[in-house]
Amino acid sequence: MADTPPEVVCRDLACRFGELEVLAPLDLTFAAGQTTALVGPSGCGKSTLLRLVAGLETPSAGAVRIGGQSPSAVQRQGDLAIAFQEAALLPWRSLRGNVRLALRLARRPDDPAAVDRLIDLVGLTGFGEARPAELSGGMRQRATIARCLVTEPALLLLDEPFGAVDELTRLRLNLDLPRLWQARGTTTLLVTHSVSEAVLLADRILVFSDRPARVVADIPVDLPQPRAAAVTESLPYRRLVARVSDALGGGGGRLAAE
Amino acid sequence: MRGALEAMTRGAGPALASTLGLLLLWQALAMATAGAWILASPLAVLDWAAERAGLLTRATAVTLGAAAQGFLWGNLAAMLLALVSVLVPRSERVLSALSLLAFCLPLVATGPILRVLYGPGTGPQVTLAALACCYTTHVALLVGLRAAPPGWLDLIRSYGRGRVTALLQVRAMAALPYLAAGLQIAAPAAILGAMVGEFTGAERGLGVLILRTLRGLDVAGTWAIGGIAAAAAIAAHAAVGALARRVTRAPPPVILAVAPPRPGRGPLARLAGAAGLILLVLALWWAAMEAAGLPAFFAKRPGDVWAYLATGPAAGLHRAQLLGALGQTLAIALPGYLAGLALGVGIAAALVLAPRVAGVAMPLAIALRSIPILATAPLIVLALGRGAAGGIAIVAAMIFFPTLVACLQGMRQTPAAVTDIFDSYGAPRLTRLIHAQAPAMLPAFFASARMAVPAAILAATTAEWLATGRGLGALMATVASTSDYGMLWSATALIASVAMLAWAGLARIERAVLARAAPEQLS
Ligand SMILES: Nc1ncnc2c1ncn2[C@@H]1O[C@H](COP(=O)(O)OP(=O)(O)O)[C@@H](O)[C@H]1O
Ligand SMILES: [Mg+2]
Repeated sequence: MADTPPEVVCRDLACRFGELEVLAPLDLTFAAGQTTALVGPSGCGKSTLLRLVAGLETPSAGAVRIGGQSPSAVQRQGDLAIAFQEAALLPWRSLRGNVRLALRLARRPDDPAAVDRLIDLVGLTGFGEARPAELSGGMRQRATIARCLVTEPALLLLDEPFGAVDELTRLRLNLDLPRLWQARGTTTLLVTHSVSEAVLLADRILVFSDRPARVVADIPVDLPQPRAAAVTESLPYRRLVARVSDALGGGGGRLAAE
Repeated sequence: MRGALEAMTRGAGPALASTLGLLLLWQALAMATAGAWILASPLAVLDWAAERAGLLTRATAVTLGAAAQGFLWGNLAAMLLALVSVLVPRSERVLSALSLLAFCLPLVATGPILRVLYGPGTGPQVTLAALACCYTTHVALLVGLRAAPPGWLDLIRSYGRGRVTALLQVRAMAALPYLAAGLQIAAPAAILGAMVGEFTGAERGLGVLILRTLRGLDVAGTWAIGGIAAAAAIAAHAAVGALARRVTRAPPPVILAVAPPRPGRGPLARLAGAAGLILLVLALWWAAMEAAGLPAFFAKRPGDVWAYLATGPAAGLHRAQLLGALGQTLAIALPGYLAGLALGVGIAAALVLAPRVAGVAMPLAIALRSIPILATAPLIVLALGRGAAGGIAIVAAMIFFPTLVACLQGMRQTPAAVTDIFDSYGAPRLTRLIHAQAPAMLPAFFASARMAVPAAILAATTAEWLATGRGLGALMATVASTSDYGMLWSATALIASVAMLAWAGLARIERAVLARAAPEQLS
């Protein structure tokens, strides 16, 4: 499956925690090789949707199919990588050790050169031997991204991966990193609070309502790929940002953090 | 490395000074009370010990050897139990209950039983030492194995890996600091277990010597051996701590703050669970005796105990004897328990109101906690006499230090942001204590109150065995010498049941209080 990116289909997907209905039945299809941004108010169920796709949560109804397979089958092939809102780095492993762990868990051969290349790419050159406690919040999130990418997954699930990254680094990562997964045509779901980030990174933006989440807008992003910093000055970009913000029901380029 | 060295020398200065001060005070007190048969001066104690250096060295080696073996077996068992609990979560409830039961066994009654089961040798001491450290390590390890944040485990799952990988890659490493903390508590506990084992009829060891000096009213000897036992326990505590610091980087966690086990669904399910557990224990007990082919004369089965207490010819007499002794024991254990808890909480609160004193008192309390108070029980008997006061004091002392340390550590868990808010309004320390630190302390307090139940019974019965001549401890001493195994087994079953019931009752109160005061602590 690693050669061709998978299409992700959520059919009648619903999820509840006890009395709390987080997702009302949703029908969604994420095209193979596309990057889809998921935006919506805090607590509407975006992380839950991502965890359902990753097979970490059991749907109360409906199912997720990834390239025709169940999430757990894709998990076992090591073809799926998820970055959580909080960087889940093991504190007793160095940065390099944490990235290598993903190769091991995914049953891939160890590849020190690839590990170091990714550490460079996320801008952590020279920190390979640092422990997570020695890194800032933003650095830890970048380390998580390196860990996700090292296994070259066919499906990439990113939950607010740049939330703790400072604005400047964020723009740089927004421009650099997508090249990595877009070159391979990875199917990517990206949860973000930042409307500008969604427009900059995604091929398509889904705007969700309050809980239980429903799709209130499905906006294709037809800006040419790959995108450069200059694109943020363009009129189509600004129009898209305005459209997404409208759909969210508020002005401004960014939602309040939770 | 240099930092550690500096920290050590920084701590060593005041410690040395206060030790010297204590010694001087001791000498002065001894000289003042000379002739009262209570206090031997440090010089007299040293003199006594120097004359018998060879004997003391051999006895110490015997006791420490038994303690080390028990430490090994008890902790191995604890690790195995915790491992199975994590890999087979459904087994956890039963395994934890069995481990608690082993902790609740009254050593003064199990000691003589083990003595006859094993015959001569160090078997009983080793077993009692193992029993004394298994539960605490088990609990610490269980907490540690669960301490890993869910995100770390999700990471493992997201690659399709299961419980074994999670255990190897995440849980085991995350549990290391907890294991270290558990082992540190277990080290002095093992020495205490070995010494109680020696009280109940060994041929050699510190426990034997201290009994002999106590009965011979040899004050200097009692103090010398009590001092050696205390020093050995502090050294074991410190050595395990130093070893742990080399292995784990993380600061030691506060493992006492364990939420009580979740009760079963309804009252019926809980009743069924308790009944199932009792049946299981009875079946295991019976099967162990049968499998070992032990004669019913001293290896009583559940049926024998039932006959002894309920249906046999002298059952009424036996019951009256046992329950009478239980009443006497509780009359010592209960006030001592309450006094120990109250003192622990009170002094912890006082120390928090006077933070400068707390800085000095905390390390002192932690060091004193490591002393097996019971091993020094003979000293308290010397000081307070053989009446109820001495017994109550021993129980209170046994419970006071762990409670104090737990409460201080619990209060330290108060989030800095919360205390900062109180400080930013210039709130008095007492207000901060009542509204922020006391609620933060509750879980640690309750956990320590639960653990103190078996400790209180152990302390009370040992004091009775050694000195007061009343209660279950004295009864066990008598029936051990008359080979009344029916009574020994009955007492074991009764005391373990009482301790388990008290523990469960406390857990219920704990859940009710925490649900109101600190609902986030209940998982
Ligand atoms: N394991 C869970 N148990 C109970 N409630 C949960 C759980 N996970 C999430 N929730 C609840 O589901 C809702 C949606 O959460 P989440 O998916 O994290 O929202 P988002 O990522 O959009 O901010 C929230 O109200 C949250 O409290
Ligand atoms: Mg979220």
